[in-house]
Amino acid sequence: MPDLRKDPIVNRWVVVNAEQPVLPKDYGISPFKWKGDKDCVFCYGNEHLTPPEIEAVSETWRAPNTPGWKVRVVPNKFPALKIEGELDKRAIGIYDVSNGVGAHEVIIDSPHHYKTIAELTDSEVQYMLKVYRSRTLDLRKDKRFKYLLIFKNVGAEAGASLEHGHSQLIALPMVPKNVLDEVRGARHFYEYRERCIFCDMLAYEEENGKERIVSENEDFVSFCPLSSRFSFEVWVIPKEHSMDFGAMNDERIKKLALILKDSLARLKKVLGEHPYNYIIHTSPVNTDAHFSYHWHIEIMPKLSRVAGFEWGSGFYVVGTPPELAAKLLREAA
Amino acid sequence: MPQLRKDPILGRWVIISTERARRPKDFPHVDSSPAEKECPFCKGKEDQTPPEIFSIKDNQGNWRVRVVPSKKPFLNPNVELWKKGKGPYDLINAVGSHEVVVETPEHIHNLADLSEDYVRDVLLTYCLRFKELGKDSRIKYVLAFKNYGWDAGGGRIKHSRSQLIATPVNLKRVKEELEGAKSYYNYHERCVFCDIIRQELSGGERIVLDEDGFIAMVPFAPRFPFEIWILPKEHSPDFYNVCDKNLGGFARVFKKVLLKLKVLLNDPPYNYVVHTAPFRRPYPGYWSTIEEDYHWHIEITPRLTRVAGFEWGSGFYICPALPEEAAKFLAETKV
Repeated sequence: MPDLRKDPIVNRWVVVNAEQPVLPKDYGISPFKWKGDKDCVFCYGNEHLTPPEIEAVSETWRAPNTPGWKVRVVPNKFPALKIEGELDKRAIGIYDVSNGVGAHEVIIDSPHHYKTIAELTDSEVQYMLKVYRSRTLDLRKDKRFKYLLIFKNVGAEAGASLEHGHSQLIALPMVPKNVLDEVRGARHFYEYRERCIFCDMLAYEEENGKERIVSENEDFVSFCPLSSRFSFEVWVIPKEHSMDFGAMNDERIKKLALILKDSLARLKKVLGEHPYNYIIHTSPVNTDAHFSYHWHIEIMPKLSRVAGFEWGSGFYVVGTPPELAAKLLREAA
Repeated sequence: MPQLRKDPILGRWVIISTERARRPKDFPHVDSSPAEKECPFCKGKEDQTPPEIFSIKDNQGNWRVRVVPSKKPFLNPNVELWKKGKGPYDLINAVGSHEVVVETPEHIHNLADLSEDYVRDVLLTYCLRFKELGKDSRIKYVLAFKNYGWDAGGGRIKHSRSQLIATPVNLKRVKEELEGAKSYYNYHERCVFCDIIRQELSGGERIVLDEDGFIAMVPFAPRFPFEIWILPKEHSPDFYNVCDKNLGGFARVFKKVLLKLKVLLNDPPYNYVVHTAPFRRPYPGYWSTIEEDYHWHIEITPRLTRVAGFEWGSGFYICPALPEEAAKFLAETKV
């Protein structure tokens, strides 16, 4: 019998197929083929093909927009939002509109065309995460922005159009709905119990057989949430309560690099190359933030197609129970 | 400059890219579906599906529309409902039902290609199943939806069909819409959908069709390019009452809209969902103004773009077609 499970943060129900679990081989993930690095705008030597860089990390001196960088940040060539201009919010009858002020940046994870995060060195992943941090710290100085979302699309099915590993950052002039749902859920729980719901979830996992925990180190846990929306969904979350991704120190970034790389390597081992997204959920900026929020990374493999039912209902059907997914991922060390 | 628009019901923002606004021809789509399997839904193969729950027959006793249980149901009607807590989580067993509506005995793929009579029978089937499933007090909501085409979640068998799912819980997206409509009503004492219809009719730039008592429109803040909503112009909370009122008119408009999509966008994959008020029973979350504050409608979403990390992480959507242009294209498409 499948069960229905309710997410305690946003009150979303999911159906988990516990009886006839879907196994990794049943997903029929199409074999991965590289298209190749010819004309890749993110490779060394093609720096002139992107808009001028905003920031770059290198170990030795280099001129801007030349090779030698470790991580490079450029404006998105086709930005969803534009950085120039005053925010202009108004009404059209019963509707609300705003002009599209924001920022849309591309973070090129590494110079390597043919390496995924799982194959980068620990220090390369650290560089990438430090750039995530510095971009969020820089952009939050702009008071027009209320939320900074860092995310990654890998594979065409997950919305990526370029195969060279990259992440994106979108700065929004309002707090997006999914984040607001989580922030409000966490706050509501806190007001009732004076505890953080994310900390409670972690404590529950730690104290109940750890069956959904994939791996952990001193500072972070990687686990498959009981009420996952997607098969093999994995969250990476700091053990110590913290609302702000940007407040992490270098020591902690080291630990995060290790566990993020490890989680992605395990997923790759179990599922093969597969399309996925990850997103960093952290507290809003330049607005009333509440300390009850707990930042985390959600990794969402895209193994099945989301259909009308999910769109129309906000109710998800999960083929592989999180307990089984966590077990397979643990064993994939 | 891109524009941000807010859905007045859900409070969800979408980004409309105005500069790179794309036209119908800018959404090429290739049918990436694997080879079709042998169809168990055609006439003469009735023994290959689980026993039928309901059907509409013609004068000779041959079925026209048929409802069967899903072969892989994730909700099951034949169990006792239990609810329990597990640490911070809540669990319920999967009581409910999962039915497949086979829309024609012929092997036709797209509902748009069925005759108006068949579309009418499909809608009548939905109505009658809604009424029947609503008798089970464990059921809180019935969702009727369709996945047409591989990229819309359709299966390897392309025989035209849709699904009905009856759940013992409130669906998050539906609940948000209900709550949005209620909070608008509490403030304005009017139905938000009626207000939307009034505003759209006075401007007209997002109207696709306005006939037979229904309007088809591109919403002001759509999630997807060429998204279309069909609403009854007269306020009505419950979809299933359409079969007693104006089923013929609805079938005509519905078929026309699906055909317009097919012609304009070259037979795109699409989903539709019927959003209606939940069954009126005194359960937690029940409220007394629902008759006045909620307005049933159908949402049709062609699947022309891929949803990526940004959408999943934020609930923000980027719509690369201007709703006013999309509506104009659709309105001008002859069917």
